[in-house]
Amino acid sequence: MAEKAILFDTSKCSGCKGCQAACKSWNNLPSPTALNADAPSFTGTYQNPPDLNGMTRLIMTFAEEQGGPKGIKWAFGRRACQHCADAPCVTICPAGALFVDEATGLVTTDDAKCISCRYCASACPFDVPRYAGERGVINKCTGCVDRVANGMAPACVTTCQPGALSFGDRDEMVALAEERAAVLRERGFEDAVAYGVDEVGGLHVIQVLKYGTAAHGQVVDPAVNPAVALTQIMKPVTGAVTGLTVAGLAAMFALGVGYKRDKRVYNVETGDTLDVETHEVLKHGDGQDTESIKEHILENLPRRKGGDHE
Amino acid sequence: MSNEAYVPTAAKAQADEEYLRARAASGKERFIKRHSLQARITHGVTITCCLWLCVSGLFVFVPALAQLAGPDVVFALRMSHRVIGIAFIAVPLISAIMAPKGVKHVFKNLFAAWDSDDRKWMILFFPYLFMAKWIHMPDQHELKSGQRFADGMLWFSGALMAVTGVVLLVGSTVASFPAVYAVTLLLHDIGFFLICVFGLAHIFLGAGIFQPYRGSARLMFGDGMVSESDALYHWGHWAREELESGKNVVEK
Repeated sequence: MAEKAILFDTSKCSGCKGCQAACKSWNNLPSPTALNADAPSFTGTYQNPPDLNGMTRLIMTFAEEQGGPKGIKWAFGRRACQHCADAPCVTICPAGALFVDEATGLVTTDDAKCISCRYCASACPFDVPRYAGERGVINKCTGCVDRVANGMAPACVTTCQPGALSFGDRDEMVALAEERAAVLRERGFEDAVAYGVDEVGGLHVIQVLKYGTAAHGQVVDPAVNPAVALTQIMKPVTGAVTGLTVAGLAAMFALGVGYKRDKRVYNVETGDTLDVETHEVLKHGDGQDTESIKEHILENLPRRKGGDHE
Repeated sequence: MSNEAYVPTAAKAQADEEYLRARAASGKERFIKRHSLQARITHGVTITCCLWLCVSGLFVFVPALAQLAGPDVVFALRMSHRVIGIAFIAVPLISAIMAPKGVKHVFKNLFAAWDSDDRKWMILFFPYLFMAKWIHMPDQHELKSGQRFADGMLWFSGALMAVTGVVLLVGSTVASFPAVYAVTLLLHDIGFFLICVFGLAHIFLGAGIFQPYRGSARLMFGDGMVSESDALYHWGHWAREELESGKNVVEK
């Protein structure tokens, strides 16, 4: 199966939020109304909930600003997993709970493996994964790989009435997006752009952003936190250096087998440190050492038979 | 042990002989008190916590281990990591509050200026580790120069783990700061790396696995005392000071 992608064309979106509802429905995610009921005052937005959360994998965002050929830009946005080709959440996940579906390239999840560490949330350049505390797992769009594997499109795509969402081979979606963005630019929407073609190694959610990237709430030039890659380097480095340390210590232990030293005592009256066995004065007083490094290393080394002289 | 062509006078030689005979006849050995009971308990609790944190942390750090153990076991280990992590931070802090003079003493030793013997000891340390049968080391003060460096690194990495651990705990429970969280995670990994290296070396030497350090475990896991002979070998300058003052010397 070729790499797949969801295409979202903002110029065709009517903001009905059917995709948001379909996502909830297919994934059995609740939609508590407490947020609306408890809101201190009307916020003036149709966007609800305000952001992704442990029960919401997809939200439609609504933004209004002046400008454009018709005097107002009413920009709908899709906020959900972008299914990066080089997904940092997959890279950092220590449990294998996040992985790339090989058949489609979509970034999906295995709840049974999630250990609730939330490292994925720290790595995502789009701030998407959310922790579902009551279920103890991370919550994000799975790309409906279960549906796709059975020949269907993701739930959000299937339900989209104005045809703003499409699903198909990624190359085809990219071509459609670029073509549509060009048409929009010709019609006076000069900021129209196809988003997701190259970002983070190429996304599997391609978007036609009629009023430009920022207007639709998308991240301009998304970048993966370099700490993610460095964290991955730390694992082999720590393993290798720890292994070397253990090997070094083992060698020291092996070379130390048979080590013994005579007891020593200190005669306070004379200031002499004495060897109890040989009665030799090991040191008089408490002054600083006067031998060179070389003397320290060589003076007690076993001599060759016949002495050192040639 | 260095001895710059010292030839004792006949009277001193006689005094040394009589001293050795008297010591042999007494059948007693002298010991120097080195670590208090509080220091030993603090060290014991901290090291137990540290070992548990390393093991439980490994199940998050190493994906293969996490997948082998399964999510429920890893989740339980992660929760224990948090609880034991709090003990790892709290116990030394409480101990420090109970004995501020001890803390001052520890840090005074850690940052003491290095003299000629200290520098020489450090240069000789790595050859010594592999040639301990032949290389004798210069006398040292209460903390060997290498000990100051290694203990300092353990203090540093312990503090780094504590601070980053608290940030990770807060960032995954009551607050959300993903970018800082990712960097903190990296710093936590660096702290773990340092603890692996310096902790292993510390165990190898401190527990007396390394043959010349046999008996060292008694200092933290026994009665906190070091024999006169071992003290003179490891910390010659300090041992002579203590034996001359007699304040912390016990004969038994």
